[in-house]
Amino acid sequence: MKKERILLNIGAILGFIILLFIFNKTFDSYQMKILNLCGIYIVLGLSMNLINGFTGLFSLGHAGFMAVGAYTAGLLTMSPAMKEMNFFMKPIIPFLAKVEWPFLPALLMAGVVTAFVGFLIGSPVLKLKDDYLAIATLGFSEIIRVVFVNIQSVTNGALGLKGLPTHTNIWWSWGTAMITIVFMVFLMKSSYGRAFKAIREDEIAAEAMGISLFKHKVMSFTMGAFFAGVGGALLGNLLGTIDPNMFRFVLTFNILLIVVLGGIGSITGTTISAVIVTVAMEVLRVLDETINLGFVQIKGIPGMRMVIFSLLLMIVILFYQQGLLGTNEFSWDWFSKIKGFKKTPKKEVKQ
Amino acid sequence: MSILRADNITMRFGGLVAVSKFDMTLNEGEIVGLIGPNGAGKTTAFNMITGVYKPTEGSVFFQDDKRDIDITQSRPDEITKLGVARTFQNIRLFKELSVLDNVLIANHLRLKSDVFSAMLTLPNYRKEEKAMYEKSIHLLEEVGLKELMYEKSTSLPYGKQRRLEIARALATNPKVLLLDEPAAGMNPKESLELMDFIADIRERFKLTIFMIEHHMQVVMGICERIFVLDHGITIAQGTPSEIQNNEKVIEAYLGVD
Ligand SMILES: Nc1ncnc2c1ncn2[C@@H]1O[C@H](COP(=O)(O)OP(=O)(O)OP(=O)(O)O)[C@@H](O)[C@H]1O
Ligand SMILES: [Mg+2]
Repeated sequence: MKKERILLNIGAILGFIILLFIFNKTFDSYQMKILNLCGIYIVLGLSMNLINGFTGLFSLGHAGFMAVGAYTAGLLTMSPAMKEMNFFMKPIIPFLAKVEWPFLPALLMAGVVTAFVGFLIGSPVLKLKDDYLAIATLGFSEIIRVVFVNIQSVTNGALGLKGLPTHTNIWWSWGTAMITIVFMVFLMKSSYGRAFKAIREDEIAAEAMGISLFKHKVMSFTMGAFFAGVGGALLGNLLGTIDPNMFRFVLTFNILLIVVLGGIGSITGTTISAVIVTVAMEVLRVLDETINLGFVQIKGIPGMRMVIFSLLLMIVILFYQQGLLGTNEFSWDWFSKIKGFKKTPKKEVKQ
Repeated sequence: MSILRADNITMRFGGLVAVSKFDMTLNEGEIVGLIGPNGAGKTTAFNMITGVYKPTEGSVFFQDDKRDIDITQSRPDEITKLGVARTFQNIRLFKELSVLDNVLIANHLRLKSDVFSAMLTLPNYRKEEKAMYEKSIHLLEEVGLKELMYEKSTSLPYGKQRRLEIARALATNPKVLLLDEPAAGMNPKESLELMDFIADIRERFKLTIFMIEHHMQVVMGICERIFVLDHGITIAQGTPSEIQNNEKVIEAYLGVD
């Protein structure tokens, strides 16, 4: 039974890799970009889901984490010549001027640096609860942005970084997405994952059961920050250009949207909803532009798609808080239930 | 030998003195009751002992093999690790999680494997996880909830939820168990069953039990000693028969029962 599952999982992954190969051959560059964004948003969505969905911490600092990750990887991968061109206002600090790392170590370093920042921020703010935590993390995210505007000799300030090597391709983005999914599945299956959920369900009871709230919250927050940093790094090296203003609250909002739509506390839900939201963001771009129907021209309203997404978010929160999947997870039993060729196994433990 | 000691603990909320100079010693293996009218300060006394509130005055000590540990400023999780577990007056289960998960979570505090060996299910963790799993199932069997272990915890009927809360507390390997109105909301038959159950687990798990209970008959039947609180003040303590005949107690309860 268990072996069968493992084989099914491996089969699914192989099938998906083949699919990626086909996409890689047939998609144009615009479609490829969206495909990359899907993978990246899975990473980002899952990292936020760990903090907000599984551990129940209302954190809104994701854009800040992504900025740290994107800048770390950007500065580490950018060629020295390109750095010199970028930093014409104020030269880059010598320590960073000469480095040029391959993508993998840069990506990992982006995660580690962001995790460290997450740890530093988390230690004081995780003592706060609910809305206070949200405000504090939001504030932190804004502070990061402002700091990045002002430390010109490191970040090139408001000018941003242009000409980053565009290392990110579907193998990097989807590879990271898969690793993140596997990481989350294994984490949430473990005793630590159960402890996170206990904290989400009832802090007082969790603490009375001997779970150190602080230790586990910081752990979850730091891990979430790691993946947010990696996601930011993938994004930076996909777009090739980053500047501090990219990392405003809307970015956090987009990821929050993914998590809420997918079902707070579901890895499957976040994964599916990351793809849907990313694609929809692009498809609905037409709303922001002028639509020409031949006989009549409809003037696009810039920002219209955000209005639609915000409405969607409100509807979900008001009427369908479970989101797409609630806290349910994908299992192969879904198929056996549909086809009915296997006796439905004994009720699965709800994740 | 004493195992838990509250040394004149007082809790003030603004101007309100919820508990005043509560002085108590629990000896190993005893069942001790804490009674008193609504708002007497019973739950507050529990909260001070378990670290949920820090007493305004006084200290709490936990004794194990000749060590006297001051737990007055300790966090609830630290106190539970030492061996003091509790249940809650208004049941606090992990609602969305299964019965089994509720009990498994209570094993987490004794886990030695770090998070990475847990994720990678390395042999050391696999061994611990298996032991936790077996222990939890065994516990659920003992409290008669094994058949329901995959159910969502809040789908259980009320009485079973209370039992689950006790099973969960037991999973932390306590030496002292604090029960806050375990029979609340139960009919007389259920509460008598519960009392048998409590007497039973005390024997099997070698527990010291301190419990709050409203139903006088229930407390009288099972407790060896009883403390009576009224408006935060300990108005009496002694054996059930002493308490039953205590004038102050009768007076305090007159308007209530
Ligand atoms: N956190 C708090 N802040 C302010 N007042 C509190 C707090 N907790 C308890 N109190 C007050 O302290 C007093 C004692 O409350 P407590 O809950 O300990 O009573 P109790 O004996 O457990 O009553 P019951 O039988 O109703 O459970 C009450 O007047 C209550 O309103
Ligand atoms: Mg009470």
